[in-house]
Amino acid sequence: MRRDRRSNSQAPESDYTADIGIECHIQLKTASKLFCSCSNDSRQEDPNTTVCPVCLGLPGTLPVLNKRAVELAMQAGIALNARVAEHTKFDRKNYFYPDLPKGYQITQYDQPIIGAGEVAVPLENDSFSVRIVRAHMEEDAGKLVHPESADYSLVDLNRAGTPLLEIVSQPDMHSPAQAKAYARELYYRMLYVGASDVDLYHGNMRFDLNVSVRPSGSDRFGTRTEIKNMNSFRNVERAADYEIGRQIQLLENGQLVTQETRGWDEQKTYLMREKEEAEDYRYFPEPDIPPLELDRSKREQVEQELPPLLTHVRHTLRATGLEQTKIEALINQPRLAMLGLSVLEEITDPASRDRIVNWLTSEVVRLLRAEDFDWDDFALSVGQLGELSDMTADDELNSSAAKQVLGEMVTSPRSPRQIAEEKQLIQTSDAGEIESIVDQVIQNNPQAAQDVRDGKSKAIGFLTGEVMKASQGQTNPQIVKDLLEHKLNQ
Amino acid sequence: MTRISRDDITKLGHLARIGISEEVAGTLAPQLEGILDYVAQLQEVDTEAIEATNQVTGLRDVWREDEVIPSHYSRAELLANAPATQDGYIQVRRVL
Repeated sequence: MRRDRRSNSQAPESDYTADIGIECHIQLKTASKLFCSCSNDSRQEDPNTTVCPVCLGLPGTLPVLNKRAVELAMQAGIALNARVAEHTKFDRKNYFYPDLPKGYQITQYDQPIIGAGEVAVPLENDSFSVRIVRAHMEEDAGKLVHPESADYSLVDLNRAGTPLLEIVSQPDMHSPAQAKAYARELYYRMLYVGASDVDLYHGNMRFDLNVSVRPSGSDRFGTRTEIKNMNSFRNVERAADYEIGRQIQLLENGQLVTQETRGWDEQKTYLMREKEEAEDYRYFPEPDIPPLELDRSKREQVEQELPPLLTHVRHTLRATGLEQTKIEALINQPRLAMLGLSVLEEITDPASRDRIVNWLTSEVVRLLRAEDFDWDDFALSVGQLGELSDMTADDELNSSAAKQVLGEMVTSPRSPRQIAEEKQLIQTSDAGEIESIVDQVIQNNPQAAQDVRDGKSKAIGFLTGEVMKASQGQTNPQIVKDLLEHKLNQ
Repeated sequence: MTRISRDDITKLGHLARIGISEEVAGTLAPQLEGILDYVAQLQEVDTEAIEATNQVTGLRDVWREDEVIPSHYSRAELLANAPATQDGYIQVRRVL
């Protein structure tokens, strides 16, 4: 176990094993809310403008379930390699807080839509497994604003009723790096299946960590704390790192870890509240939402509509023998990964395929990181890549010229030949033309030519450069060098 | 006979977010005990062979298509019953 930023500690960390479980909330990608037809996207909206009597919890209203939210939850479950329930229902979780207009949250208690599953998580050149306990649907609460130095808070209920899926893992992560890798894996699985926009910045995906430590070798879990509301992979890692260190320090000092809910302020975790007991929520079956029977035909319909899953994409890329770090580089950019899949499907020549995949995982990935790059401009196609590869194979373009063309193609649908011609990058392969340039250069540089004849091999580089210059780079340096050697060593 | 202790009353009051005075607590305890004892008669029914019933309508799969239909009430109408508002927000006692 690794720990930074806590230099005050001399705790022997290897004496402890950490157990980390993650609860992840994702916002499902529907147009409308979970139980009413208000817009699900209120990012740019004024407070309390995407609300109606249902999501305000006014008396006499009846919530009606959003079918699309159910389908997306089922797809998410499949992407998590988890069991989709045949019978599922909703329950009321009762508590009072100003962001919860009804005085209860409609959620799922004992019959969640998604049951147990297992997720293989890649980490560096290896992978580890995280078991999924369950995933259930629920409605989000509203947002509270606390104006400074005011004795009141302000409530905006635009977000109230937004459909969420809460994904609960077993405590199968044992280091901050594993916690981060799992969070990232969830992100990309949900992104590929299209269940959520997973916009971390706007809180589409939020992570709560359960962290405990125990003496290594002990099979009894330590007392756990819950750290609420991380919104980035990095914060998941840092909060886990901090909390593990804090708990080890407590135990080393002979103190106990208390079960409690903590927050994360970007530097450290802090106490929010003592844990409320489960029965305090007085769950009971939701009388307003009849139960769901997700029978075979419904499940098959959802399966048919599935886009390529992350696991499928990864598996296909892996079958080509591509190394894991390169696969993950592609996967980080879903549109690039999809392009990679098309390349594997359509380009049959292995050398060409390898060349293109290599471009995608190095040069193109680098180009996409450019500050002014915008996915709306992305124009790269298999057709272009195949043609560019052929031109390279035929020595019409050298490798640096090919990269120049590639740089242009990323945001231009034009053919590589057109681009290369315009930039005068095409190498002359006309033997007669190259030979006359070579003869000219030898004639203009008699001293260098003599040096080569005398066996001073350095001079050949100079002459090659002169030929390249005279041809404006449109000759293949290797051919030029061979030709020079041939002529001067006769 | 169910016993409701003073601690139970305090906890229920907290969960319901209502203040309960000593005097009221004294009368509430026997009243709640009476209610629980009355409902407890149900425990005498033999439900061994009965499947758990979560709802009695017999309905299933009641859902709607995912379509946005903005509320036909204005914000002013929807917030008309809020105890206080400010700039379109509902104003409540400070919670933090």
